[in-house]
Amino acid sequence: MARNILWEGLLVACVGLGFALAANEFSPRGLSLTRNYFPVGRILPATTPLPNTNSVGSTNLTVAEGVIAELQANGLQLATSNQAAAWFTDPRRQTAKIVFVDARNEEDYKNGHIPGAWLFNPYEEEKYLNAVAPVCQAADKVLVYCHGGECDDSLSAATELRDVGVPGTNIFVYAGGMSEWLTTGRPVETGPQNSSQWLNQNP
Amino acid sequence: MNTRPNNSPHSWKATAGLLARWILGGAFVYLGATKALHPEDFLKLIRQYELTQSVLVLDSIAALLPWFEIACGLLLVAGVAVRGAALVTLALLVPFTVAVWHRALALKSVLAISLCAVKFDCGCGNGEEFACRKLVENLIWIALATWLLAGGGRTGCLRHTLRKSNEDEPTA
Repeated sequence: MARNILWEGLLVACVGLGFALAANEFSPRGLSLTRNYFPVGRILPATTPLPNTNSVGSTNLTVAEGVIAELQANGLQLATSNQAAAWFTDPRRQTAKIVFVDARNEEDYKNGHIPGAWLFNPYEEEKYLNAVAPVCQAADKVLVYCHGGECDDSLSAATELRDVGVPGTNIFVYAGGMSEWLTTGRPVETGPQNSSQWLNQNP
Repeated sequence: MNTRPNNSPHSWKATAGLLARWILGGAFVYLGATKALHPEDFLKLIRQYELTQSVLVLDSIAALLPWFEIACGLLLVAGVAVRGAALVTLALLVPFTVAVWHRALALKSVLAISLCAVKFDCGCGNGEEFACRKLVENLIWIALATWLLAGGGRTGCLRHTLRKSNEDEPTA
C-alpha cells in the first residue's frame, strides 16, 4: 500500500508540475524562470526592522549608510526627502528634464502616485521599458521610488534604467518612497498618469 | 463516485473526512490563487527566507508553487488521488512550516520580542500574520493531510485511489 501511495504522490506531483508550468506560461502575470529579478543586493537585509518613516530624515544612520553604499556600488545616487520635494516643484519637471519613476505595480500606482510619475514595474519591464527608457534618457535627473522601507524595487528599476543607457549619475533612488511622501502630506495623484485626480490636494 | 457500504454519509467520520478534504483542498486553492495573482510579491517574500542563491530555483518556486498548490487543492476537493495529493501537500507543508519557524525565530531575535508577538508576511497568501497563529494553522493543515494520507476522507470522492491494491481496505 505504501508503494501505491508513493506512486500516486509521484503522479500527483508530475500532474501538478505540468499544470503549474502551463498556467505560468499562459498567465498574463507569469514569471520568467530564468530572469534575475534582483540584479543587485537588497537595500536592507531581510531581518532589518523597518526604519521610522513617520518623520522625514529619521532613518537609522546605519541603515542609511547601507543604502548609500549599495547605491554607490551600483553607480546610483540617493535622493533625500527634501530633494524629492524640491525636484517636484522644480520647473524642469514640466519639461521632462526631471522625471519621477514609480517602481511599484499598476494597482498600487493607480491607488496613488507622485503626480506625473511614470509607471515602471521592474517585474514587467517588457511592458513599460519602451515608453519609460527614452524619457529617462533625455532627462537630467530621474527620481525612482517604490513603497519605501524594506522595498527595494526602486533599486531594481534604477539598475534596469542604468542598463538601458540612462547615466547612473542622473538616477536618484528615493529610499523614503511613497510611504514617506504620503506622511509628509504632499500631493498624490490617483488613476493613470496625469489623470488630474487627486488623493489629497491639487499641486 | 465511491459507493462502498461503510462510507455512509451519515457516519460522523465520513462527514469529518469530507470536511477535512474540502477544508484542506479549499485552503490550498485559495492560498495558491492569492499568490498566483501577484507572483512578483510572492517572489519578494520567499527571497527573504534566503533559501537559495539560484535564480532558477527562486523564480521556479515563485512562479510554479502557487499553481502547484491550486492543482493539489483541486484534487483534494474533487477527491481524486487523495492520498497522493495528501502526501504532496505534506511534502510542501512540513518544510515550509520549518522555514516559517526559522524566520520567526530570526525576527524574534532581531526585534527582541516574544515569538508570539512576531508578525510578518510569511508568503503564505494571507498577508501579515502573527507567527504563532500561522504555525498553529500549519500544524492543523499537517494533521488533516496526515489523516487523509492514512486513508480518511473517502466519502464523496470521484476516485479516491488511482491504483487499487489488495491491502487497500476502505476506511472512513
